[in-house]
Amino acid sequence: MAEEMDVDREADKETSSKPEKMFTLKKWNLVAMWSWDVECDTCAICRVQVMDACLRCQSENKQDDCVVVWGDCNHSFHNCCMSLWVKQNNRCPLCQQEWVVQRIGK
Amino acid sequence: MPLSSANKRALSEENKGEPALTSKRSRTESKNRELDEPESCATMTEPQKKANFSALSGNGISRHASPLANAKPGAAKKLVIKNFKEKPQIPENFEEQTWLKLAEAVGAIQRSCAIRYSLEELYQAVENMCSYKMAAGLYQQLQSACMKHVRANLQQFLGDTYDHEQFLKMMSNCWQAHCRQMIMIRSIFLFLDRTYVLQTSSILSIWDMGLDLFRTHIISHRTVEARTVDGLLNLIERERAGETVNRQLLKNLLRMLTDLQIYQEAFEKKFLEATERLYSAEGQRLMQERDVPEYLAHVDKRLNEENERLLHYLDSSTKKPLISCVEKQLLEQHLAQILQKGLTQLLDENRIADLTLMNQLFSRVKDGLKELCTAFSSYIKNTGRLIVVNPSNDAEKDKDMVQNLLDFKDKLDNIIEVCFAQNPKFVNAMKEAFENFINQRQNKPAELIAKYVDSKLRAGNKEATEEELEKLLDKIMVLFRFIHGKDVFEAFYKKDLAKRLLVGKSASVDAEKSMLSKLKQECGGGFTSKLEGMFKDMELSKDIVLAFKQHQQYLDASQAIDLTVNILTMGYWPTYPPCEVLLPSEMVYLQEVFKKFYLGKHSGRKLQWQPTLGHCVLKAEFNSFGVRKELQVSLFQTLCLLLFNENNEYTYQEIKTATGIEDSELRRTLQSLACGKARVLHKTPKGKDVEDGDKFQFNDEFKHKLYRIKINQIQMKETQEENTSTTERVFHDRQYQVDAAIVRIMKMRKTLTHNLLISELYNQLKFPVKPADLKKRIESLIDREYMERDKDNPNTYHYVA
Repeated sequence: MAEEMDVDREADKETSSKPEKMFTLKKWNLVAMWSWDVECDTCAICRVQVMDACLRCQSENKQDDCVVVWGDCNHSFHNCCMSLWVKQNNRCPLCQQEWVVQRIGK
Repeated sequence: MPLSSANKRALSEENKGEPALTSKRSRTESKNRELDEPESCATMTEPQKKANFSALSGNGISRHASPLANAKPGAAKKLVIKNFKEKPQIPENFEEQTWLKLAEAVGAIQRSCAIRYSLEELYQAVENMCSYKMAAGLYQQLQSACMKHVRANLQQFLGDTYDHEQFLKMMSNCWQAHCRQMIMIRSIFLFLDRTYVLQTSSILSIWDMGLDLFRTHIISHRTVEARTVDGLLNLIERERAGETVNRQLLKNLLRMLTDLQIYQEAFEKKFLEATERLYSAEGQRLMQERDVPEYLAHVDKRLNEENERLLHYLDSSTKKPLISCVEKQLLEQHLAQILQKGLTQLLDENRIADLTLMNQLFSRVKDGLKELCTAFSSYIKNTGRLIVVNPSNDAEKDKDMVQNLLDFKDKLDNIIEVCFAQNPKFVNAMKEAFENFINQRQNKPAELIAKYVDSKLRAGNKEATEEELEKLLDKIMVLFRFIHGKDVFEAFYKKDLAKRLLVGKSASVDAEKSMLSKLKQECGGGFTSKLEGMFKDMELSKDIVLAFKQHQQYLDASQAIDLTVNILTMGYWPTYPPCEVLLPSEMVYLQEVFKKFYLGKHSGRKLQWQPTLGHCVLKAEFNSFGVRKELQVSLFQTLCLLLFNENNEYTYQEIKTATGIEDSELRRTLQSLACGKARVLHKTPKGKDVEDGDKFQFNDEFKHKLYRIKINQIQMKETQEENTSTTERVFHDRQYQVDAAIVRIMKMRKTLTHNLLISELYNQLKFPVKPADLKKRIESLIDREYMERDKDNPNTYHYVA
């Protein structure tokens, strides 16, 4: 169902020759959803989905700072979970490879 | 200081006939002298006395010092004091004579005639008799004289024919005469009353004696008492029946009974019995005859009348039993019936005054308010259930549910405030009742409340000012508080919020923020963190677009397309079904450029396009009339329209292949373009619905009075599909929430018994859940080795790190 927007009255009447295009895109509102580019969507350390902040950050209301970290092994965890983990054991909790940070999400 | 009676008597006899002044003075002297030698005074002659008196006034000590004075030289006169030669005698018939005088006076008083003697004389006579120790006899004689008179009065009350009121008047007169007489008599015999009677504890004071005689000889006569009490009761009954009666008469007689101390036993008991009989019958009868408001007004009237009765003639000691008798017979006996018969009507019709009265009356009797409160609560439950429950899922009815609930709540709030004096018990009862009925239907109320809020927060809602809106939101929050499945509310609220934000349809950012803070206050930050995240995403997106537009590649790729972007954080927003469409190459290019730009800024992320949410502005030229327009359209509409730049006619199938839009979406899109109000396309054959074989042509003759036209996407009847999926997702998410909560708790506690775990879970979860379902989740977590059972005690769990 169409509905009028109360706007400008009809504009200039132009009787030119037939243009190439009848419709031209003037404005575009593009919508996208972002998520962490991870293989497993749960953090194996805190067992919370990586899209959600880890429990510690949730309780401290620091959801925005709770980013994801990837290791060389391509496994990913909450950055804060992992930084606590490596203090005890510098291996990936999933594959036991030595933990080397590949990248940190932002 | 009491005078020595013997001395005084002697003096007064001696001085008879002397002027009063002398007599008085001599009495004073004797009073003084008796301190030393009481006998001596009788010997003195009159002149001596006078001398002595003057000496006394000159020097008071001299008299005490007389023995010493003899020893002093120069004392010319000697004062010698001797005893009476003969003891003074009172006349022989003194007692009889005096009594005769007094008896005559008493008789005159009783007959209400003039008394022959002066009152002082009579008083003196009494005093003299008392002084000569004749008090006992005097009292006896007075008593018998009074008794005789009182007895004589009895006869008039024993007549065969009598009229109640006549009788009462007679009695009242008799009583008042009796009182008058006794007061008079007592005044004359005051000396007796104050001396002999006071000192003799076994006899009654003259006044009491009078009462006693009246009681014994008149009132306590069986017939008289019965007639009196019956008369009184009859008079009261007539007054209760609405007649005007002689209240003074009632008052006098009841005071009489009180004075005679037989009010309680003779009158009150029977009176209360009569009251009980009357009101018991009246209560029964009027409950049948009258409707409740009338009945309550009547009860109120009765209570006022009885209070007036207490004020005017009943003894105040009757107040408690009388009022409680009326309350019991008219109210307490009928509590249940009154409530059952009338409360619903009163509440339905919002009869403020009647409800106020009901509250007042009920508060007087035991358990009255409790019963009222219970009935009130069940009324709310029943009425509320009718508003909420909708077995046929009639959308029309559901549409008004929230407004009806708000109105209902307003009405009850008002009643509680005005009629029930904001009694906290009623406030609580209302809350409980609301919570009870609103949750009788699962999910739907939560959903409708969310939608109601949406309708109020959406742009174009100009009904309310900011203030009114704020008030309304507060009221909605009250309803929200009652809802058990708060997550259902959140899911629907979020969906609508997303629409408002993405389409830019929110009426006011302030109102949105205010609602958000209310939710936060109610349910805590955890509940709203995602909703807040949505607002944050909107802000961040604006920044990103600004940055992107500075970017060189945008300038190259844009081709004059004005790009805006909303990047939503997964998890904050509702999930939308994934869908892929085929974009024209320049759009794909622009999209890719942006993606590269975005991921360059945010590493570790991936983007998923949401074509369903995109929208565009198209410039359109219709050449037949050289018309130029701007069309506000969705991305899907855009894709369809852009096709017509290449060709003038497409079949449905061709469009589908070219755009890749999913079937039902495409049908609705084409419908909006070819069958709506603004038809930029022609469809053949014509018709409302889009069929597979339909063909579409560009409408070159398109005309519209406006320049900028918004072509609304035909809304998929939001109903079933979307609705069900939202609800389903809520239930699905509940599983995760339960899991997460269990793990959270177990991680913190390490070891916990089953019961403790369950009770902690109930504290944390914001939706209703059955224990059996919790158990299933626990089992599942044990299977997945998040936790384990204790080896010895299967009811205890350990967290597995």
